[in-house]
Amino acid sequence: MTQDNPKPETLAAKIGVYICHCGGNISDHVDVETVRRRVEKMPGVAVARTNMFMCSDPGQEMIAEDLKSGTVDRVVVASCAPSLHEKTFRSAIQRAGANPFIYEHANIREQVSCVHHGQAATDKATVLVAAAAAKAGQLKPLTPIRVPALRHATVIGAGAAGLSAARDLADSGIPVTLIEKSSFLGGQLARLDRIAPTGDLAADLVRQLVESVLNHRDITVLTDAEVVGFEGYIGNFKLTVRRGQPAVEPATEPRYIPFSGMQPAGTGADKPGDLTVETGAIVLATGFRSYRPRQGEYGFGDFSPVITLPDLIRKMAERHVPGNMLTIDGRQVRAVAMIHCVGSRQIPGIHPEDENGHLNEYCSRVCCTATLNAADRIRQAYPGTRVYELYRDIRTYGRDQEELYEQAGRNGVVFLRFEAENAPEVLPADPGDGFALKVKVTDTLTFGETLEVPADLVVLATGMEPNDVSDLVEMMKLPVGTDRFLLEVHPKLRPVEMPVAGIFVAGTCQAPFDVGEACNAAGAAAVKAAALLGAGQVELDPFVAEVDVDRCRGTGACIEACLNPGALSLVEMQIDGQTVQRARVTPALCLGCGACVAVCPENAIDVCGMTLRQYEAMVDAIVEN
Amino acid sequence: MDDHNDRNFDALVIGGGIAGLQSALDLADQGFTVAVIERDASVGGKMIRLSKVFPTLDCASCITTPKMAAAAHHDRITLLTYCDLISLQRENGGFRAEVIQRPRYVDARKCIGCRQCEYACPVLVPDREQGGFSPTKAIAIPFSNAIPQIAVLDPNHCMLCGRCERVCPTGAVDYFQQPQPFTVTARTAVVTTGFEMTTLADKPQYGRGKIPNLIDALQMERLLAPHGPYNRVLRPSDGKAPDSIAYIQCAGSRDKSMGQSYCSRVCCMYAIKQAMLLSGSLPLADITIYYMDIRAFGKGYEQFFQNAQAMGINFVKAKVAAVEPGPDGAVVLRYEAQDGEGVTTAEHDLVVLSLGLIPAWNPAGVCPLATASDRFIQSRRPKLAPVETAMEGLFAAGAAIGPKDIVDTIAEAGNAAMAAGKYLAALSRQGQETVAAQ
Repeated sequence: MTQDNPKPETLAAKIGVYICHCGGNISDHVDVETVRRRVEKMPGVAVARTNMFMCSDPGQEMIAEDLKSGTVDRVVVASCAPSLHEKTFRSAIQRAGANPFIYEHANIREQVSCVHHGQAATDKATVLVAAAAAKAGQLKPLTPIRVPALRHATVIGAGAAGLSAARDLADSGIPVTLIEKSSFLGGQLARLDRIAPTGDLAADLVRQLVESVLNHRDITVLTDAEVVGFEGYIGNFKLTVRRGQPAVEPATEPRYIPFSGMQPAGTGADKPGDLTVETGAIVLATGFRSYRPRQGEYGFGDFSPVITLPDLIRKMAERHVPGNMLTIDGRQVRAVAMIHCVGSRQIPGIHPEDENGHLNEYCSRVCCTATLNAADRIRQAYPGTRVYELYRDIRTYGRDQEELYEQAGRNGVVFLRFEAENAPEVLPADPGDGFALKVKVTDTLTFGETLEVPADLVVLATGMEPNDVSDLVEMMKLPVGTDRFLLEVHPKLRPVEMPVAGIFVAGTCQAPFDVGEACNAAGAAAVKAAALLGAGQVELDPFVAEVDVDRCRGTGACIEACLNPGALSLVEMQIDGQTVQRARVTPALCLGCGACVAVCPENAIDVCGMTLRQYEAMVDAIVEN
Repeated sequence: MDDHNDRNFDALVIGGGIAGLQSALDLADQGFTVAVIERDASVGGKMIRLSKVFPTLDCASCITTPKMAAAAHHDRITLLTYCDLISLQRENGGFRAEVIQRPRYVDARKCIGCRQCEYACPVLVPDREQGGFSPTKAIAIPFSNAIPQIAVLDPNHCMLCGRCERVCPTGAVDYFQQPQPFTVTARTAVVTTGFEMTTLADKPQYGRGKIPNLIDALQMERLLAPHGPYNRVLRPSDGKAPDSIAYIQCAGSRDKSMGQSYCSRVCCMYAIKQAMLLSGSLPLADITIYYMDIRAFGKGYEQFFQNAQAMGINFVKAKVAAVEPGPDGAVVLRYEAQDGEGVTTAEHDLVVLSLGLIPAWNPAGVCPLATASDRFIQSRRPKLAPVETAMEGLFAAGAAIGPKDIVDTIAEAGNAAMAAGKYLAALSRQGQETVAAQ
């Protein structure tokens, strides 16, 4: 924008450069002192300092002191990736009374010390810091964009996490719309019986959660509903929700249907069709589904007595046949073999990928305890039924879970341990021994002996997979990990946030969790949403396009290139007595992508904080150093 | 900070580790005023003392310091460090905490953290912040990224030579400082008192802490930390770089002989993490982990374990029965090999005990709060509301209610802040105005 007419700087910027050792993570590879000495001599640099941890309080104070004393008025910190600490340093600058956007971040850890060593590392660090300093010299104070935020949140998914998050938000005074795809509330929790290790009845937990939601005047529940449209931005989202035909008869009052969940009372207004929900924040609680074994996996689909753990739980709960022995599907079970890690902890080269090329390499976290719980209950209720558990590692990590493991052992559950590469085989039993099947296993607990376990029933401890939310992922541009679960910004710094501001994640759509952990995750997401909406307005980064009205000729090229409809428009205005068309930016909608900058024939549009001139200065500095 | 007149807050957070900081931040961001009471001279808890954290291998400081700084600078958060909680009782529908701030022998309002006292002090003391491997001074800033940056004098080692007092530019050193009792009142409280490691003294088979080159995992954290005592991994007895390092898992967990029958939940992952870091700093060393079950259950943890195996870290399924000193500073382990060799001994240059977690705080005599048989605070509804305790208006999070990794702790701390926030919201609906609103 200023190529042929550079505006003279009225006051030269006083740049402070602060280089972090990162406690050795940087300084073990980069000669930080050399970088400091070189940078100190660069044009515009008023001071260059180093610190063991720039992000620590003494580090931040160092910057604040220099700003307050007037020594510097532009700040460059050379440290880790900006995703980690750019925000930290902007806040430090703001606390010192300066504009937070006079800041530029140079990444000399991930981009330098993690990958280069010795002289090359020091030289590259110098170049990156020089470029950042050159850009900093061109930075201008910016004002964050403040937009009003709707005091309303939307929770998608009404399992344990979704119900819990909706109630938490409503209890803190924020109206909530809860959207559920099925006709029932309770999610996968409703598909359980007694849950370990507390022995709570899942139905009771679902009832408690659902009643607190249905009786809350600030929660609107939409069942048989799906999000089909998404637009807007933090504080001001607009969702299109499509309500389908309910799969079950409407109920006159809320009712609990075992293994389905709680059905809210239907009203005459519940007609199929689209409605619009305007909301300030979104909590995704779309949950998991149980892994479905492939045909032939441990005999699944080949032999009818091979079932999954969810199947066993349901069969035992639905039809209790008293007696010395467990009865399943009308057949007495003299021995049951339970195989762990089915569809979890899969290893490339050992386990085959599914039809879409996926492998579930993660641990599903809950199956060990759930399997032990089922095994122990069988041994207690049906002492005539023998129980074998075939496992890789027993992961009873949680409170009171180890005790359950011990108790199962005391109650006569027999444990056999196999290695992943030497998985058990489920085979038809030898003729004449009367059992339905036998399981052949190489047991490492008996020094690698190959054993054959007779079984009338084989139970596969199937793991968790995230529900398919590819439509939401596509619409909201959400990141998904290699494990296919939704991927948070950072597991410790921003564990419930999606990169799209105002969208949060709760429960098993993020990773396998048990019920208590899912409720913790829901509370963690709700508290962030509550803090966001409590203020009534949100601040957006000012890195948006800006039109130089003097240069703009209203060609409209920028509007054609714009990726977010509505962010740019042509407006009529009076200039020198003439009515002309000029481009105008709606800052809250601008993505700051720069597509408009690239196409403007007049160089009349630029992105604040990332101007062409700033980039030119960076390139010049790189060439010179 | 450290302004301890008797004061009233919306919420009181007991413990300034990662759980307490997260709860305090999430409460303050909802608009409530919060006081954090911390026993130590700095906030940050166990996490700030770690090297790197699993499964991302982010440096622990890089994740903890921003939360420490954010809490320290938050308009609605007051950090009260070096404080003992004497009593916490319900009173007038809220909580009354009696607190004593221990003397630092340095005036917190005057100290500017310049470290002149530390440089001048002639007394060297083993630095417990560095696992006892390197010295600090009898008056010192606790560690480089401590918050607050206020020097603390160690009266057990100070010889009252007066040098620190003479060099202090602000006259902050005060040899006559007394314990400061004060009262904090609040409507709600969150207990985030964290954990300590089990003590070696409880296990005669492992030498009761007397075997050279048998260290604990927190000491190894310091050896691995980039700003650690030696700047590299050396074994303590003779300064030799170890060629063979072993980890003994479940040393203090799943072990009734030590009174801890539960799983400590983090030791598998921290041992794997340390093993990975060791194979980076000592590429030629053999690293063996003796384990009962590998419990890599969190997000990305199993993949982390698989990577460790691919890197050549050796996993041996065995519960180590006994540890003895060997020749030339070696450590000898005795265990039953499950590959058929029976009772086996193995010699390593350096052995790390993966100690378990025990509660850092016992509410007995301070607060009528129930603990379970594992001595951690009892959750009233572990499934639907893990953060609720039996006391009205009192919530708990993190390792105070059972061993927990950082990721799970941060989520639980957020939930505790949500629960406490809801409790405060309900009180204001009943007409009780929050402190922040006043």
